[in-house]
Amino acid sequence: MDDDSRFADFVAERADALLRYGYVLSGNPHDAADLTQETLIRLHRAWPRVHRKHDPESYARTTMARLHVSAWRLRRRERLVWDLPEGSHLDTLPSGVEQELWQALGALPRKQRAVLVLRYYEQLTDEEIAGVLGVSRGTVRSHASLGLGRLRSAVPDPAGTGTAGPAGPGPAGSTGPGAPNPTTTGGRTR
Amino acid sequence: MNDHLEDHLRTALGHAAEHAPRAPGTLSARVVTRSRRRRVHAQALVAAAVVVLVAGGAGIAVRGTGTVDPAANPPPAPSAESTPGTPSPSDEPVAEVPDPVEKVWPEALWKIPAELPGGRKFQPQAFIDDHTLLLEAWKSFEKANAIYSYDLESHRVRKLADIRTPKGVFASKYTVGDGLIVWQTIDEADGDENTAPRTTKFWSIPVGGGEPTAIRMDRTLKGGADRLVVTGGKLAFSLERGGVFTVPLGGGTMEPVQGADRHHIVRWPWVGTPGRYAPDGAAVFRELFNAENGDMDEAVVRPGERNVRCGVTTCIGTRPDGRSTFFRLRDGSREREIPGQPFLEGLAADRFHAVHLPRPPGGQYLLDLATGRSGDLGLRPDADGGMISVIPGATDGRLVAYPVEDEYVIIDLARIDE
Repeated sequence: MDDDSRFADFVAERADALLRYGYVLSGNPHDAADLTQETLIRLHRAWPRVHRKHDPESYARTTMARLHVSAWRLRRRERLVWDLPEGSHLDTLPSGVEQELWQALGALPRKQRAVLVLRYYEQLTDEEIAGVLGVSRGTVRSHASLGLGRLRSAVPDPAGTGTAGPAGPGPAGSTGPGAPNPTTTGGRTR
Repeated sequence: MNDHLEDHLRTALGHAAEHAPRAPGTLSARVVTRSRRRRVHAQALVAAAVVVLVAGGAGIAVRGTGTVDPAANPPPAPSAESTPGTPSPSDEPVAEVPDPVEKVWPEALWKIPAELPGGRKFQPQAFIDDHTLLLEAWKSFEKANAIYSYDLESHRVRKLADIRTPKGVFASKYTVGDGLIVWQTIDEADGDENTAPRTTKFWSIPVGGGEPTAIRMDRTLKGGADRLVVTGGKLAFSLERGGVFTVPLGGGTMEPVQGADRHHIVRWPWVGTPGRYAPDGAAVFRELFNAENGDMDEAVVRPGERNVRCGVTTCIGTRPDGRSTFFRLRDGSREREIPGQPFLEGLAADRFHAVHLPRPPGGQYLLDLATGRSGDLGLRPDADGGMISVIPGATDGRLVAYPVEDEYVIIDLARIDE
């Protein structure tokens, strides 16, 4: 099997998961697609080396996180290689609390959001997050603390509003097939 | 409550992820196509950037001594304008092409053979003095193995030093000052910035040639430098990620320039921030700081303006209409519209800009915003539509060099009077 076939297989298997990750990192479908596309282009260019190391997924996820917090996004964008469907993606989260949290995440500085996504979506330790973002563990803790503080101000009492009933925030089994489960580790959508 | 918040956050992120867009089945093929196109484009861009322009020595100008007056000179002759690389519809008038650069600025222009004796390829890097060029000879793409001097009057070529770098280590950013030629070598590590940061070393030789000597520092320098300047017995450099430092030319302690931890060298002693890859589309070098006397300056930027790139005295950018390009002093005065679009690198020497000509015939002309004069660089698209682009602002504005057929065109911007 040649490199391009292996790359095609990787994209076929993992592109949707990367898009999900890009979506929670960036908060909107266009940026998610943009981030995923840019990352896959870079991955393709680095493929022979990355593939030898047997971990293209880790390379891609690290690249996405770093791209997201870096200046890349502000450089001129390339046209997407595919068309996105129109429509709102925010109005279908199951609970009011989740919607509020999602909105509040959108107001966080990029690095704070990235740290929270890596910690609570990717389920990485602070040490792993520090490695992914190329910063110190103290910086990770500081971003996490500031980010959580802001979320707490924006959604003052999530426990009091959404822990019971069918509209509750995602007990295991009610989530989609790829959604992380708060009762387990390894929430990354694989 | 903290635990609840974290649980809610996990769940909200998981649910939200399910609303992400789906990848089309053809994504891989499209990405591969784009990747290959970009590789070709990147090589062309690298070649262009490398051949284009490298600064001469230090202390070129003191801020404010230039007399560029944006409003004093009307936009120059070429009438038609287009996006670079965008062919004009065939029924549009053919662009009016300015006179060739050699006719407009004969005092500042030379043409030299594009190969060294023996057929070796090279890239002009800097002026060593008013009539001597520093050339870097390549063993392979971007991989230097020797530097030479080229006397533009006598056409004499002399090897100054061999450059021996291990695989994955590249020399760049040659600069001249205090009787020395100084450059950096960047070790690309394994080429993967996610796992191993690049490290940088500095080297020097006397301008007359000699064995390269390392400028040893008290610590390993991570990341590359974006500009080097020799000044007052020291090497000053700024990092690609921001931050200005000095180190004695003989080696020693790497000292940060106080107050310049986010800055890049613009034209010593002026350093600026934000840099060229600024977040949020911020105006490049909006803030200036004088590393020698602490003077500061903030350029005027108006709401809705984009691609704003400032130098030490002027700024260029895209007006809020998204189409027209402005040029003015940093304080916002003397504004006028100019042809072309702002390059990421801004202007050279606060006054030189390159403008693409519509196709046909295509090409680029150099525009001196201080005088309004312009000269055709003589570049034309090849049969496939590809063309080297000259980026005058790629460094601080003295040497423009680019190949045309089997010659290199050399322009010394410092010889062009205002």
